[in-house]
Amino acid sequence: MTVRSIRFRLTAWYAGLFTVVAVALGALLFVHIKSYLEGVLLETQERRARQISDTLVANVGRTGEAYVAREVAALYDPEKSDRFIRITARGGRLVYVSGPPASQAFDPAAVAPAPASSPEEFTRKQPVEGAPALLIAAVRAGAGGTSYLVEVGTSAAPVESMFRHLLVLLGLGLPVVAVLAASGGYILIRRTLRPVDQIAGKAEQITQHNLGERLPVPGTGDELESLSVALNRMITRLDDAFLNSKRFVADASHELRTPLTVLRGELESMVRDQGVPAAERERIGGLLEEVERLSMIVERLFALSRLDAGEAQSEWVRFDLGDLATTTAGQMALLAEDRRISIACEAGAPIPVDGDRSRLKQVVVNLLDNAIKYTPEGGAVRIRVFSAQGQAVLEVIDTGVGIPKEDLPRIFQRFFRAGQTRSEHPDGAGLGLAIVESICNANRGEVEAESVLGKGSCFRVKLPLAV
Amino acid sequence: MRILVVEDERKVAEFVSRGLRAARYAVDVAPDGQAGWAMVNTYPYDLVILDLSLPGIGGLELLRRIRRRDAQVPVLILTAKDATASKVESFEAGADDYLTKPFAFAELEVRVKSLLRRGPVSQGGTLRVADLEIDRLTQQVRRAGRRVDLTPKEYGLLEYLATQPGRVLSRTMIVEHVWDESFEGLTNIVDVYVRHLREKVDAAHPVKLIHTVRGVGYSLSEDSAP
Repeated sequence: MTVRSIRFRLTAWYAGLFTVVAVALGALLFVHIKSYLEGVLLETQERRARQISDTLVANVGRTGEAYVAREVAALYDPEKSDRFIRITARGGRLVYVSGPPASQAFDPAAVAPAPASSPEEFTRKQPVEGAPALLIAAVRAGAGGTSYLVEVGTSAAPVESMFRHLLVLLGLGLPVVAVLAASGGYILIRRTLRPVDQIAGKAEQITQHNLGERLPVPGTGDELESLSVALNRMITRLDDAFLNSKRFVADASHELRTPLTVLRGELESMVRDQGVPAAERERIGGLLEEVERLSMIVERLFALSRLDAGEAQSEWVRFDLGDLATTTAGQMALLAEDRRISIACEAGAPIPVDGDRSRLKQVVVNLLDNAIKYTPEGGAVRIRVFSAQGQAVLEVIDTGVGIPKEDLPRIFQRFFRAGQTRSEHPDGAGLGLAIVESICNANRGEVEAESVLGKGSCFRVKLPLAV
Repeated sequence: MRILVVEDERKVAEFVSRGLRAARYAVDVAPDGQAGWAMVNTYPYDLVILDLSLPGIGGLELLRRIRRRDAQVPVLILTAKDATASKVESFEAGADDYLTKPFAFAELEVRVKSLLRRGPVSQGGTLRVADLEIDRLTQQVRRAGRRVDLTPKEYGLLEYLATQPGRVLSRTMIVEHVWDESFEGLTNIVDVYVRHLREKVDAAHPVKLIHTVRGVGYSLSEDSAP
């Protein structure tokens, strides 16, 4: 799975989004619970402070401050219940302060006095060094002409410890959530995208030769179904376009035949006419050569269009490729000798192949003709036939002019002519190699070329070995 | 010998009939299937040259009607359709020969001649052109009594030229006859062989027998101008 694949990116998004949402929810929960718990604690302290002010401080005029202090210590027992209680008279005079609590969570004596200009009732959070803060509620009460401030507080330790628990829970839970989200997302996405793999695999197999085939449609009713249906429609349109262009070539070459027939017939009758001066006949002969070349191009185009259309092979026989190469090389030896080119055929054990023998012979003829044509005088053409990796291989190797590297990928294209060949060999049409390739493909084989400019070329035909 | 040409392309019909008349055949031309059918019913032709794509009654249909009426008359199909299926169909309908356009006139002449059983049918015997002798049984060639050694392909080429003395044979005809259809388009091989043949047959003799007609082909004849 690559980093750029949709599967990876969606999974990452999935896991990331899940984690972010979980963290945000956790933080929200955290803040909310903290303020809620602190509020609840403060409310309790406030109630207690009011209780002290209503029941004890309010009667201070009658009972005296010492009684109040005693009663508070006796009734509330702040040291045992971890509570902070302080009663201050106006001017900061201390009436009562609780002693250090059993838990030693804070030192009541060290708690700073409340600010003088405070309202009737207020709460504050008193930080304590090295321990949870002190939550204090304060109530002001006037009695016996004096104003007292009653402060009741308690340590925030239970809240803090609960926070810590929550934090640990969240810290452990988050990675689990992330992993679950990632794997869940991955499985979900893989299931969703499986048809994409199938469509891509099938699309890879479709070439111009099997445009009749279609992509699988995953009947899921989702976007992928409409995608594959749309792609199939596109293939249908491509198929139609291909058929049209093939039909066009077939029709065009057919239509060209009649005027070519007339041209050839009339020109031939003029050449035969002894009344026409010899010089004129020679010129008409030149025209006839061009007509013949035109006819050859039309014939070859027509042959190509029929090969494209996959017209039934005229024959399908088993034969020895080595034998075919040897015979053909023999038939063309004089062409090579004429240009003082040596021609050698290396074929050993029989290499049986199944196919259209006469068309495959045309492949050998075309390749040998090219090799001889593009090899300078004194050069050599070799033809090798052997089997390798379950394939029958035929190589035509020459010591010719070679093919420029940039032209190599295009030499099998129709009408393409590499380098200087157009000016040096004006008779050709650039269709010979296209025919070679089409015939090879029609016989379930392939053809490839290697070349070094100035050194020579090697054309390699591979066909399935007959078993 | 009377030949009916059923061809809707006026210009093709024209040069075909002109060429055949020059070869001393009587030629009638029918521009469509209807006219062709009427003429076949009026006159006993020795040969029918038939285009396949005709207006009205198609070539194939006309061929079937002709065969139902007269099983004997030879029919040569002359068409721009060269698909194998079309050939098979024509032969099944009773055609005797099939020639695709464009064609060398010499090719048509040779085929017409052989359909009319006028040409040499014997495979044996000796062919003679001037002082050139070709023994078809032993495949031996003599020029002015002296033996000429030829390779099998050279012999094949010379024999083919000698069977049609004086007629200019196109390089395509020669390739198809002496080699095979795989060599189609590779007509330069004919030029090379003709040059070798000339060296062996003509070089030592003042009278040249092998002639080149530019743009048309080669011929074997005693006359300098074929």
